[in-house]
Amino acid sequence: MRTHWSSNFRKTKALQGILSVIPVIFVMLFIRFYPIAEAIYRSFTNWDGLYKNDWVGFKNYIDIFTNSPFWTLLRNSFVLLVSVPLQIFIGLLVAVLLYEEVAGWRFFRAIVYVPQIISAVIIGYLFRTAFGLDGPINLVLRRIGLEFLSIEWLGNSATALFVLVFCLTWFSIGWQAVVILAGMTKIPPSIIESASLDGANFWQRTFLIVVPMIARTIEYGAIMAIVWTFTGTFAFIYSITYGGPGYETSTIDYMIYTKFYQASANFGFATGLAVILLIIILVLTFAEMFYTNRFSDWE
Amino acid sequence: MKKTIRVFVSLIVIIASLLLVSGCSGTSQGSSSEPVKLTVWVNGRDSFIGPSEQKLSQDQWYISQAFKRFEAANPGVTVELVVQSDALQAHQTFRTAGLAGNAPDAANLWAGQFIFALRDVTQDITPYIPKEDLENIIGWDTVTLDFKAGSPIIGYPVPNNQVCFFLYNKKIIKDSGLDFDKNPPRTMEDFMAALETIKGKGYQPMAADEGQGYTYNFFYVASYWWVQQNGLEPILAEDSGQAKFADDQALLTALHAYQDLYTKGYLNQDAATSADSWNKFLAGEVAMIPNGSFGVKDAQDALGVENVGAVLPPNISSDAVIQDSLIGGPGQSMVVSKNSKNPEMTVKLLSFLNSKEEVLKLSEFQTIVPVRNDITAEELKLQPGSIAAQMFDWSQNYVFWVDNSLSPTVVDDFNKLLPLVLTGKMTPEDLAAQLDKDKEQK
Amino acid sequence: MSKTRQKTTKVLIFLALVVLAISNIYPLLFVFMNSLKDRTEYLKNPFGLPNFQQLAWGNYQTMISQFQIFKLFGNTLIISVLTIFFLLALGIVASYAFAKLKFIGKNVIYFLIISSMFVPVQVTIIPIYMLFSRLHLVDTYWSVILTYLGMFLSEAILLMTATFRGIPDEIIEAAELDGAGYFDILRYVIVPMGRPAIILCVIYYFIVTWNDLFTPMILLTDMNSRTVMVALASLISRYSGDPTFQFAGLFLAAIPAILVYAIFQKYIIKGIGEGSTR
Repeated sequence: MRTHWSSNFRKTKALQGILSVIPVIFVMLFIRFYPIAEAIYRSFTNWDGLYKNDWVGFKNYIDIFTNSPFWTLLRNSFVLLVSVPLQIFIGLLVAVLLYEEVAGWRFFRAIVYVPQIISAVIIGYLFRTAFGLDGPINLVLRRIGLEFLSIEWLGNSATALFVLVFCLTWFSIGWQAVVILAGMTKIPPSIIESASLDGANFWQRTFLIVVPMIARTIEYGAIMAIVWTFTGTFAFIYSITYGGPGYETSTIDYMIYTKFYQASANFGFATGLAVILLIIILVLTFAEMFYTNRFSDWE
Repeated sequence: MKKTIRVFVSLIVIIASLLLVSGCSGTSQGSSSEPVKLTVWVNGRDSFIGPSEQKLSQDQWYISQAFKRFEAANPGVTVELVVQSDALQAHQTFRTAGLAGNAPDAANLWAGQFIFALRDVTQDITPYIPKEDLENIIGWDTVTLDFKAGSPIIGYPVPNNQVCFFLYNKKIIKDSGLDFDKNPPRTMEDFMAALETIKGKGYQPMAADEGQGYTYNFFYVASYWWVQQNGLEPILAEDSGQAKFADDQALLTALHAYQDLYTKGYLNQDAATSADSWNKFLAGEVAMIPNGSFGVKDAQDALGVENVGAVLPPNISSDAVIQDSLIGGPGQSMVVSKNSKNPEMTVKLLSFLNSKEEVLKLSEFQTIVPVRNDITAEELKLQPGSIAAQMFDWSQNYVFWVDNSLSPTVVDDFNKLLPLVLTGKMTPEDLAAQLDKDKEQK
Repeated sequence: MSKTRQKTTKVLIFLALVVLAISNIYPLLFVFMNSLKDRTEYLKNPFGLPNFQQLAWGNYQTMISQFQIFKLFGNTLIISVLTIFFLLALGIVASYAFAKLKFIGKNVIYFLIISSMFVPVQVTIIPIYMLFSRLHLVDTYWSVILTYLGMFLSEAILLMTATFRGIPDEIIEAAELDGAGYFDILRYVIVPMGRPAIILCVIYYFIVTWNDLFTPMILLTDMNSRTVMVALASLISRYSGDPTFQFAGLFLAAIPAILVYAIFQKYIIKGIGEGSTR
């Protein structure tokens, strides 16, 4: 297509290209690649942030796997992943409703994304108060006679995780709905119309027609949600359960924050955790891409 | 519409850049050719700045006025006050600032082990300390490295001996048929019986928030039960790895007593996750709360001076080596950073803050117990029978804060795992074993 | 399925949608209503309407005067605006190159930049903190801005490159024939035609940086320069005082993001969606 250009012109273009990306490369090297390299290096030392920095080999990693709450953290991260199918499912239903333009759809479309606009600090604080021992949820439960359910939600590992899953799902429905809605614009409207003319009900339309056609979109939503669950939920955990009780609701990324502030300043340990987190994320994303053979699409 | 947005955005960028440029100049360090400028970090709560001062504007605070007086007495010197909102995080921030060489001249941090961990970024101020201060101020060991006399002294104690005891709601106690003024419960059995009586009357005996990141309530009271049995030396031995926490019967007894408060129903059911116990006490819904000298004024403001009482923690056993005492001592300190360019002037400032005149002025703003041994109760204008007078008496015989005496790893473990022990999800024996395991690992 | 069953399902689902919508708005409503109560009233009656005789506007007054919430707003605004500015400055230029120019190593560089998107910020935050500490940048706006650039450049470039790829080459060639240089192409072709993605970036990253907690909490703790969310979080997190006072702060802090969303809502929803379909 551009073979009619002179080689000088191509050279200029190449030069322009390289100069255009140099600032970005520079920033990324400084803020991303160098710190990642340093984090990996430090994870093999007993760095305390000051002058102590002896090489300890895999000691940090051994400590992480044998004498730390690591397995609890991992379990918690995976439990929180339950929110992913939930949010996709509900988001899908909402998206289909919006697409089919139920009454007031414009209003709903605006409202459904609102949780993403509110800071996690606010949402977390409200969830914490709502699920407190004498909070609204329990008050309502008591009033309608379900007293046995009005427990200390945040005091038990299982129920506290439930509250977190509930919160993360609620927060993410809007985002999933918007993403799926956009994906649905690729579907020829005639297909859905003829399906309903043929008598397909809402559920059939959604799951037998829409879903197969937007598989890639759902996949995108799933992978982003999974990565976010591992790395973006800090503010919610901090505001709702503070990682507790004990370590029962801490995740790996939350633990890194905790280790940063604890008086013992074991940064070698903390960076070890960070490296493990990185490996988990890379494994999950590459596994997903490999499985769906979409590697080339990311170029 | 789009065009307006872009214009709008460009305007914001321009304004922001101007603000930034003007703001940037504010954060630069003073050069040494200018007159002396000292930077001092102070904690936003329970230190020099009292709870009632937080709602006032900054120039009305005691500490701001104290700095002004110092500046007037030392022309050419300016003191900049920086308030740290999170006392625990301040240690971390100080550490990294020290690494970068721009730590403040003086910083308000927790005494004992908390600042010993920062020995690489603090300096020895022994040569600058006036002799009278060494004689008249107590608690020097808390700012001397490793508590060992003769080691470098890296700061001054904060002039506030913060003693810990139970605050109680006099009305509820009276309604329950008890009188803590005449008959305070001094043994564990009496104490538990009193709580049972209160509970029987339908009141909430005690409340605590032990899941908020730092197990203050344990360190205010239950740690006293631990240390009073055999003194501090065995604990320090365990902390340095020479003995095992798992073998420490005193620890296990204290933890069981701590647990009992919960299992017998004297504490709020959500003690491991709640955050409003203090509010509940101030609202008059709770009979007693573990607290200390720092909460007295707040409580009196909310409940009325006549309605607030203070009572010592009971003795856990009559065989305990230490009796009728309480946790206290200068738990906070003002350390001098290694990179301070004016250590002599900084020490002068710290000496000033600890001087008799200044301590008396501070006592007008907060109810404090001085760490000087040359101030009498009359000079502090303490009303006999008031809580302030009680605190003053009690402070003559305190046990230094256990958490400031333990190494950071152990303190971290307590903070994370005590909520589990409190609510019975972890046994005291398991906690002790975990402490030993983590000590080995480090 | 019978017609009535279909209708019932539709009604039920519609009701569920209504419940969801209410749950989305309720938090803001709750916060606002309770910010106007005083502490005792709130503790007694958290769900009712505030007492209209005695609205606690004092909470807002204290927020503004003593807590200096507008100063905090200013700090957060400066960070957000500068972050966006540099994101665009660096990102537009780089995306143009990836989309339209040919040079050695283009695909490798692009891949590296995009894949760094998956490295969570927690991995780098401690080394970054130490690095900035040595450069005396901790507790300045720049530490947060630079960290945000590291976090968001990849995503932004991904989005903009995809959009710019859709710009027809003919237009660019026509401009070149007219004598347009590098910056002219950017200014007169790329930016105007790539406007949807650019505007989306501005709006989306404004909201994200305004609401963010983790990064500024670690890098910017100085009381004078911290952001509004960090200040509110430290007010809330422990042992503290007056929930209604906190609510006033939270509500004020939520307003800018909500305003931006309300005005630009259509763009955001379209844009986020398009980012996924590329």
